[in-house]
Amino acid sequence: MHNIYQPDLMKVIETRQQTPDVKSVKVRFLEEARGKEFSFRVGQFGIFSVFGYGESTFNICSSSNWKDHLEFCFRRVGCVTEALWSVEEGDVIGFRGPYGNAYPTEEWKGKNLIFLGGGIAMPPVRCAVWYVLENRADYGDITIVYGARSVADLVYVDELDKWAKHPKVRVVRCVDPGGETPDWKGEIGFVPTVFERAGVSAENSVALVIGPPIMIKNTLPVLYRMGILPSVVYTSLENRMKCGVGKCGRCNVGSFYVCKEGPILTMAQLARLPADY
Amino acid sequence: MSATISQAALRELVTEWIKQGKRVVGPREVKPGCVLYEPLESSDQLLLEGFVHPANSVKEFIFPKHEELYGYCITGNRIELIEVKPPAGEQVLIGARPCDAASMPILDHVFNWDYKDELYDLRRQLTTVVTLACTAHDDACFCTSVGLGPAAERGSDAMLLELDDGEYEVRCLTEKGKALFDGKLQASERVASVAAGPEKRFEAQQVWAFVKEHFDSPFWPSETLACLGCGACAYTCPTCHCFDIVDEGNIERGVRARNWDSCQFAMFTLHASGHNPRPDQPSRQRQRIDHKFHVYPEKFGEILCTGCGNCTRNCPVGMGVLSVLTAL
Repeated sequence: MHNIYQPDLMKVIETRQQTPDVKSVKVRFLEEARGKEFSFRVGQFGIFSVFGYGESTFNICSSSNWKDHLEFCFRRVGCVTEALWSVEEGDVIGFRGPYGNAYPTEEWKGKNLIFLGGGIAMPPVRCAVWYVLENRADYGDITIVYGARSVADLVYVDELDKWAKHPKVRVVRCVDPGGETPDWKGEIGFVPTVFERAGVSAENSVALVIGPPIMIKNTLPVLYRMGILPSVVYTSLENRMKCGVGKCGRCNVGSFYVCKEGPILTMAQLARLPADY
Repeated sequence: MSATISQAALRELVTEWIKQGKRVVGPREVKPGCVLYEPLESSDQLLLEGFVHPANSVKEFIFPKHEELYGYCITGNRIELIEVKPPAGEQVLIGARPCDAASMPILDHVFNWDYKDELYDLRRQLTTVVTLACTAHDDACFCTSVGLGPAAERGSDAMLLELDDGEYEVRCLTEKGKALFDGKLQASERVASVAAGPEKRFEAQQVWAFVKEHFDSPFWPSETLACLGCGACAYTCPTCHCFDIVDEGNIERGVRARNWDSCQFAMFTLHASGHNPRPDQPSRQRQRIDHKFHVYPEKFGEILCTGCGNCTRNCPVGMGVLSVLTAL
């Protein structure tokens, strides 16, 4: 019997504390052959689990070009993430996936890319950034605006510096007013305002916006004013899930099953759905 | 030509199935006034008349309330997964109402689109459904509003229709049904008359349009304010299939299991951030109606409701799909 709910076992090969309450984890398939045949596309998610505590849904935030391991990132907020927090190198956790759709990286070819991320939503942006940098010739100018509540809440800070060294890549970082430290050299302000001030060209551009609902809501008018239409603005829905395979019945927004038809969709698609997210 | 069986012969047949080791499930009075679909220990427990609809549905016999998906065993940082035994052993659901039988082919869609849920599929294959046509209905019944009726054959392998002298006309509808009754039936000329079903109460097709256009309508709070969020409607519904996946055990061994869940519970959609897309009972009731009459038909071409009326019968505050839809 093939059991769609049974996970693969993964060995934890590295954990890293990114902020006071966020960690990233690198895992590798215990069964080598499984690891070799496994593939995914950036934007897809997995269901990760700690045995005895349960399963949780996270974006696979490593690039799909990295065959050696998978990476995910979580904030310590509930039962499963509390258990994940104490997971160490060498421990074994569960993984099911990949599930859901992916970023349309083919459609993005030849375009200028604008990545806007807020807080813990940076990991799903990160996998896309690495993917396009690894296929650099296919894409135009890249602008990355990343903001968090405070300096301490920024994740993957070292990678922002690496990205900024690539040609035709601009990285803007910002923290909410009051979240800066005396030696903070980035911008102070919310992502939408900082992005607007940055004066990025809208020509031939597509945007990926992932962050808290309030950030997305305030970023859309800015993009619209610049002339970037909702049909080329992408986001990711983060609904609660259990099965990941379109059965358990909780992630739907109207007829849109986030785990199957999502999580990635354009703002134009989102506008057609009922306001049930 | 038709085929019939006497009630005595039918009970003998039930005894035979039980002796063969089949699990036989049927309506049974578990305590005075309370009829449930339950496994039968003997054929005299099978209730064939004097009730409209058991308080539960047959879904728990193909999609159990609690089902282990796999086990785990932890030694140090070594983890071993223990596969569950695939469902085995035939079962017969006898005396299922047509509204219950119809729920099974409807549920097949969701358990088989793209990813196949073999735990569900195996149980389905091992199950033979012998439906008992309805001779009466109550105020909660509304099968005729969703395209079914007192002798609707959808999902049945065989159907029993009561004749006037305690005999039953038996219609074998599938190979499974034929095999079950092979050699047990009398050839006859008698054909049972089918009872009139409940009056049609609403137009199912119009519900979709209404939900779409009235997503934020004051209709929802005004009609569903009384909802307590207990989930009885979903648990006794033959088509509600939402589930949760949880770990049960300790740090050495345990199981990962799925348990029935309900869209009427606050935790159902609660995000880790604290945000809840459906923060109150009206939005959860709207989801229940929307899922049954719009989402499921759009995805799978069928209404996710068989009009059994269990949501109304079991609701502590007298609501249900029917009360909401007749109020539309």
